Amino acid sequence: MTDTRASAPRSSIGRSRFGGGGATLIIASLLLGLAVSSAMGGLYAWLGDTGDAWLRFSILAFVTLPVTASLGWVLLVDRSSVKDAVERPEDSVESRWFAKAAEGTMIDAFVVIGIGAAVFSFAEIELPVGLVLVAIDVLLLLDLGIRYLVAKLRSA
Amino acid sequence: MRNALPERRAALGWSQQRLADELGVSRQTVISIEKGRFDPSLPVAFRLAAVFGCRIEDLFTPDDA
Repeated sequence: MTDTRASAPRSSIGRSRFGGGGATLIIASLLLGLAVSSAMGGLYAWLGDTGDAWLRFSILAFVTLPVTASLGWVLLVDRSSVKDAVERPEDSVESRWFAKAAEGTMIDAFVVIGIGAAVFSFAEIELPVGLVLVAIDVLLLLDLGIRYLVAKLRSA
Repeated sequence: MRNALPERRAALGWSQQRLADELGVSRQTVISIEKGRFDPSLPVAFRLAAVFGCRIEDLFTPDDA
């Protein structure tokens, strides 16, 4: 019987799939995040018509950098070098829990958006579109989280 | 689906984590399979059979059988 576990040392950060250690991965992720955040900041500064353009650029780039750098890490990391990362997540029970939660959340989204559209049409309520979309997004994320926890508790 | 995983695993002296590592899945997956609350995918079932050196039907029995 062969032991299929990776023999290379693993860490919380992991290594880049293109070679190099953890430090290389962190730097590459930050650079990738910085590039994407700068592009978003530039777009925001270019499209906006109020306030100082550099300030708009700086704020958006600074606020989005943690997210874009994290996404860079997700794209660049070699999964097999990350501590406690399973080799086949798609075959794990957590994947089933997520799939079940996502199915339920999708149905809920149809219902919530459908009812919301009807209510807003008949009642002629006017709200900022951005605010409504954020509210729906937060609601669906909460729904997904609760459904995932329920699926986990039922399986435990 | 009933299964003989706990007995087979105990016979090898393996922990749930060791079996999970062999299968490439999480420990919670092994726990859920052993409790009969998660039916594994066909690839995992084949890997289980390979790990224990038996056939899939030696490991799993349908509830209505």
